Amino acid sequence: MKRAIFTVCLGLFTLTVLLPLVWVLISSLKPGAEILAEPWAMPSEFRWANYARAWGEAGIGRAFVNSSFVTVATLVILLPIGAMAAYVLAKYAFPGAKAILGTFLGGMMFPTFLVIVPLFLLMRDLKMLDTMHGLILVYVAYSLPFTVFVLTGFFVNLPDELAEAAMLDGCGHARTFWSVMLPLARPGIIVVGIFNAIGLWNEYGLALVLLPSERNQTLPLGIANLTMTQQYQSDWGALFAGLVIVMLPVLVVYGFFREKIHETMLAGAVKG
Amino acid sequence: MKGRGRVAFIVSFLAPAAIVYAGLVLVPLIRAFEFSMFRWRGVSNKRTFIGDENFRNLFQDRAFATALTNNLMLLVGCGVAVVALALLVAHGVRGEGRLRKILRSIYLFPQVVSVVVVAVMWQFIFNPHGLFNAGLRAVNLSKWTHTWLGESAWALPAVGVAFVWYALGFYIMLFAAGLEGIPHEVNEAAELDGSKGWHRFWRVTWPLLWSVKRVAVTYLTINVMNTFAIVYLMTRGGPDRKSEVMLTYLYEQAFVNSQFGYATALATGNFLVVMVLSLAILFVFRRNPVEARP
Repeated sequence: MKRAIFTVCLGLFTLTVLLPLVWVLISSLKPGAEILAEPWAMPSEFRWANYARAWGEAGIGRAFVNSSFVTVATLVILLPIGAMAAYVLAKYAFPGAKAILGTFLGGMMFPTFLVIVPLFLLMRDLKMLDTMHGLILVYVAYSLPFTVFVLTGFFVNLPDELAEAAMLDGCGHARTFWSVMLPLARPGIIVVGIFNAIGLWNEYGLALVLLPSERNQTLPLGIANLTMTQQYQSDWGALFAGLVIVMLPVLVVYGFFREKIHETMLAGAVKG
Repeated sequence: MKGRGRVAFIVSFLAPAAIVYAGLVLVPLIRAFEFSMFRWRGVSNKRTFIGDENFRNLFQDRAFATALTNNLMLLVGCGVAVVALALLVAHGVRGEGRLRKILRSIYLFPQVVSVVVVAVMWQFIFNPHGLFNAGLRAVNLSKWTHTWLGESAWALPAVGVAFVWYALGFYIMLFAAGLEGIPHEVNEAAELDGSKGWHRFWRVTWPLLWSVKRVAVTYLTINVMNTFAIVYLMTRGGPDRKSEVMLTYLYEQAFVNSQFGYATALATGNFLVVMVLSLAILFVFRRNPVEARP
């Protein structure tokens, strides 16, 4: 009896998680007027054109390209410099190493809104407000703490003997890192990359403040603006199609790497 | 690691990350504390040192008091809901069975979807013509329908529901890991002693989850006190600041009113509140009840 009640609870919970998401998916195919007129009904016809309008007129396509560019560019800078710093901090003992590592990890402790005003003014003075390269640099900086945290964990566990052997063979420090140690840390790099990619793709607060104009906006900004402009045009179909365009890539990636993502989240949580 | 060129190597490998981090994270962090002591609207040369005046104003600011109260109400309401639900579901994500397998693969969905999607979605669910009211009408509960996000009494609870839906997965994961960490022998011993059901939960499981509870409560506090996007997108803090939280108020002061000095003082205030609460949590959870026994 108790077991049955528990199973019903779990079933209800599963439904609560899935129902809103499925509702968004189904609504994205409805003629716009039906979304709020008959929220529980199936679409009277499938309007794939919602997606075309979202992608084109509503600007979601451009935002999609912007978001892809920002995410990829951030990772391209973040992963090498994060791995380099993490390697040195994990494998080389020198005065101040602990303090530097601590300063990096401390960045996981405070919310970005604590520094949002000085950061906004700094970017304004550097003429990097409303530019994608400005946002990318900021994303790199604010993703470093978590990246360094996970990657030092990986490098610490690699045996020193490997690096020593490479150096006996005549490799310099840098060569040893690039051709021996970094390839061994590949699982860590992949996990950190995926984890950061999801976070960057979804990021809203910093983008809201640092990208005021529409031209450069990322997907979360594009969707948020669409809710406001659509209040006058009420093309809800395109808005819901836009919501699906934002969340589908993330859910697919998550589906592929679920176990790894769980491990990383737990490691980050328990340490922090 | 030893070898020639060691110092040059260390410096050159640390430098890129260190420069970006120092320039864009540490410098703004230091300036945040500096800014909070000025009256400043962001125009250069026109800033006045006013010491602690921003902070004294903060204490008398009714809007800030409202926002802080709302944050605390969300913390208590969402906190209780999240811990209870997460514990319940965490018992269900382990083991075999088709339902449990489905559950395992989807319970973190809300957490990986952008918070913007979550906010917009719930805005439409709570729309007067949205999914929720239509559902109530369908089961003949029309008298329970509300303009959820537009009524003073309901805006904050509605935002809280969206927050719980969004945040829950992370805590399920934490508690599931905690349950996983309870040694087999303990469960077997409890089994042999005939301890089961609620008795076993309160006497065995709950105390053994001590460290997980501490982590969960700390994270909840940080998450709730730093809520911004869900509130900003669902209600803008309205109606009449009834769902205002500290960070939406900060955003308004900084980027609508250009009160940069005051907004930074708000940010510092928010940070101090989180620090005080975190220290209080450390104090409450200062002793592991399991290890404390001789």
